[in-house]
Amino acid sequence: MTQSIAVTGALMRRALNEVVRVPGAAVPGVIAPTIFLLGLTAAFGKLTEVRGFGGPDDYISFLAPVTLLQCAGFTGAATGVNLARDIEQGWFDRLLVAPTPRVVLLGGVVLSAALRVLMPVAFLLTMGFVFGLNFPGFDGMLLIVVLVPAYAIVAACWGASIALRFRTQAAGPLIQSVMFMFILFTASYAPLDLLAPWLEAVARVNPVNQVIEALRAGFVADVTWEETWPGLVTVTGMTLFFGALALRGIQRTGR
Amino acid sequence: MTAVVAALARRSIRQTFRRPQFIAPILLMPTLFLAVNTGGADSATTLPGFPDVAGFLDFELAGAMMQAAMLAGVSGGIALAIDIEIGFTDRLLAAPIARPAIVLGRLGATAAMGLLLTAWFLALGFVFGAQVQAGAAGVLLIAVLVPLAALAFGSVGTALALWAGRASVVQGIFPLVFVVVFLSSAFFPRELLSEPAASVADYNPMSFIAEAVRDPIIGGITATETMKGLLGIAIVAAIGSVLSSFALRHRLRSA
Amino acid sequence: MAAIEVDNLQRRFGDEVYAVQGIDLHVDEGEIYAFLGPNGAGKTTTVRMLTTLLRPTAGTARVAGYDVVHDASDVRRAIGVALQEAALDPLMTGRELMRLSAVLHGIRGKESRDRADDLLARVGLTGAADRRIGTYSGGMRRRLDLGTALVHEPRVLFLDEPTTGLDPVSRASIWDEVRKLNDEGTTVFLTTQYLEEADQLADRVGIIAGGRMAAEGTPASLKAEVGVPRLEVAIARGDIAAAEEVLGRHGELLPTRAGTVMITLPGGASEVAGIVRALDDAGLPVESLDVVQPTLDDVFVVKTGRSLEGDGAGEVAPAAPA
Repeated sequence: MTQSIAVTGALMRRALNEVVRVPGAAVPGVIAPTIFLLGLTAAFGKLTEVRGFGGPDDYISFLAPVTLLQCAGFTGAATGVNLARDIEQGWFDRLLVAPTPRVVLLGGVVLSAALRVLMPVAFLLTMGFVFGLNFPGFDGMLLIVVLVPAYAIVAACWGASIALRFRTQAAGPLIQSVMFMFILFTASYAPLDLLAPWLEAVARVNPVNQVIEALRAGFVADVTWEETWPGLVTVTGMTLFFGALALRGIQRTGR
Repeated sequence: MTAVVAALARRSIRQTFRRPQFIAPILLMPTLFLAVNTGGADSATTLPGFPDVAGFLDFELAGAMMQAAMLAGVSGGIALAIDIEIGFTDRLLAAPIARPAIVLGRLGATAAMGLLLTAWFLALGFVFGAQVQAGAAGVLLIAVLVPLAALAFGSVGTALALWAGRASVVQGIFPLVFVVVFLSSAFFPRELLSEPAASVADYNPMSFIAEAVRDPIIGGITATETMKGLLGIAIVAAIGSVLSSFALRHRLRSA
Repeated sequence: MAAIEVDNLQRRFGDEVYAVQGIDLHVDEGEIYAFLGPNGAGKTTTVRMLTTLLRPTAGTARVAGYDVVHDASDVRRAIGVALQEAALDPLMTGRELMRLSAVLHGIRGKESRDRADDLLARVGLTGAADRRIGTYSGGMRRRLDLGTALVHEPRVLFLDEPTTGLDPVSRASIWDEVRKLNDEGTTVFLTTQYLEEADQLADRVGIIAGGRMAAEGTPASLKAEVGVPRLEVAIARGDIAAAEEVLGRHGELLPTRAGTVMITLPGGASEVAGIVRALDDAGLPVESLDVVQPTLDDVFVVKTGRSLEGDGAGEVAPAAPA
């Protein structure tokens, strides 16, 4: 067990190198979700005046949970693309010939996303508060600290499974676009009732919508258990599902 | 020089279409955005002051094409930066060809991409019920404006590539594409944007271009809008050309 | 116990590409075994199967007594690997990579730090240990790669083309290190396309071509199998025909360039003194003489019909027959 923790820690430290040691490498990933938050607010802010929107007058508070999950989505996708690069360039072979169990190798790769996501989240919240984002309260912040890193792990597991399947960075767009759809094909821009019928239908079955609603509660009203538990269950379920996919991918490596 | 430009353009086009990780962001992401924007902000057409449109898709198509055109321009810059990194540009500089041919050849691929994305989004629009009110003349005008816009954005991408010489730097510009698009009337009417986006959009060339492309879709062709669109393209192209020229001279001096 | 035991090992990619078509080989403990063959012969694919990175499509292989498929974790504990394409992370320092390798093999804390220091000293990288690998030369990267493969004192060391692309000095230093490791008891399985490397280092050589084993044995036995030494003599003055008559009594005459005479030397270099005396007695003093041994390339040509060195394609005249 302590060996597994040591390996996981070492791999997480290595994953953070790129962020820490390459000047500017982290910048696009850190600022992109904030650009979306502020840009979409500027573009679609008047949607709050549509009859039936309900909710807050400030669109930025309605939109914030979506872009918080985008932080997780971008970070997780980057983890997958980096793994694809490591596979393409042979670095991953170095890990595969070690006697470390493959599940531990995978853990080290995906858990780093949970740490890395804190940078764009911190930047987004800071800028958001400057531009009028509601403070979600202590329980809302707690939910952010739990759900967003957890979703980053989901996204990293997805990215890792694609990387292990295709073994090339050219699969990057596939990783990113699926994450994009999961996050944005939800009640992202407007409440469910105001979405176009096709998007409403998709959003109602999209599990990530539960996570968004859970995160949104603190920003637009109060956090309640009724609105929180579906999000927690969803993230747990998605972690198990995509984690299993990624684990299967790494165990089948070399066949 | 024409033969050289044609040969380099053919190479650039082949390269572009053989690398899915280059095409996908140009077509896939704007398409997904179009879907989300249309599905999520569909109710915006009920807002007072929203232009009279058959559907939000009709309004949004221009924005998708503009976003894609800008991404095509940046992707062209990335491809040129890769050429510089691998030394291919040095090979061209050592050959007895006119210097502008090196850049023009690359822009040929960007123009081809511009045509492709125009066809893609118009076809998509038609499939999902959009109509070009100005008919065939409108389609023709769009097929001229969008590739020209892609070329203009391509000149900025080229300048960046020549200055930085590294693909990772040019790639870091992607978030800025969204900033420019959000701070314009590409996605939402200028009158209904929030500040400060509304003020910036009044002077953003992207607004003029987007409105010129949108004009034939939601209404008819008006000379004023078309001229403003061409002016916007000319402004971007002028900025890009001047910067490219400085950057190329600097690169040759320091080679 | 054999260090490596391979029986009819095969690897197919898709339906049509047979990279390894059924090879058998045996490596004793404490041996240096060189796996020789041109690009595309199946060397790297074989190594990847033996190091558990690739699953064989048929056949079996045991490394350090463990089956590569069913006991893969045990194999990984017993082997060290320096692969041809194994990238080094340019953002890490040499010390960080060495410590990561230690951690991956279950060595932690102070022991991992000490082991990293020892190995960095062993491969001559103490001075560069805290610099990023991205600043290292090619030779330094190979030495670091070799060092990381030794962190857990493996019983069997796999080196895939360890000196490809290195300058002669770096190559010699890698060879020295391999010999030292072998002296300490490590079995070494190395793949190479360099004849000299196989000749200099290996106790035994396996030749692979087109995914199949073409030959296996000690360098000397392989060379003896395909040819005997030759003697090429240039006469200082006198009649070449007369020299041919004298030399023809000691071995079979072979075609050679003008002004020289070449014969086979079945008895080896020990016959040379007698031949020189015979020429001298016949009034044919020697200007120069060369004893030419069969090379592994001669072996390669005989066994595969093509040369390994140079461009390699096409037929090449083999060594004089034994």
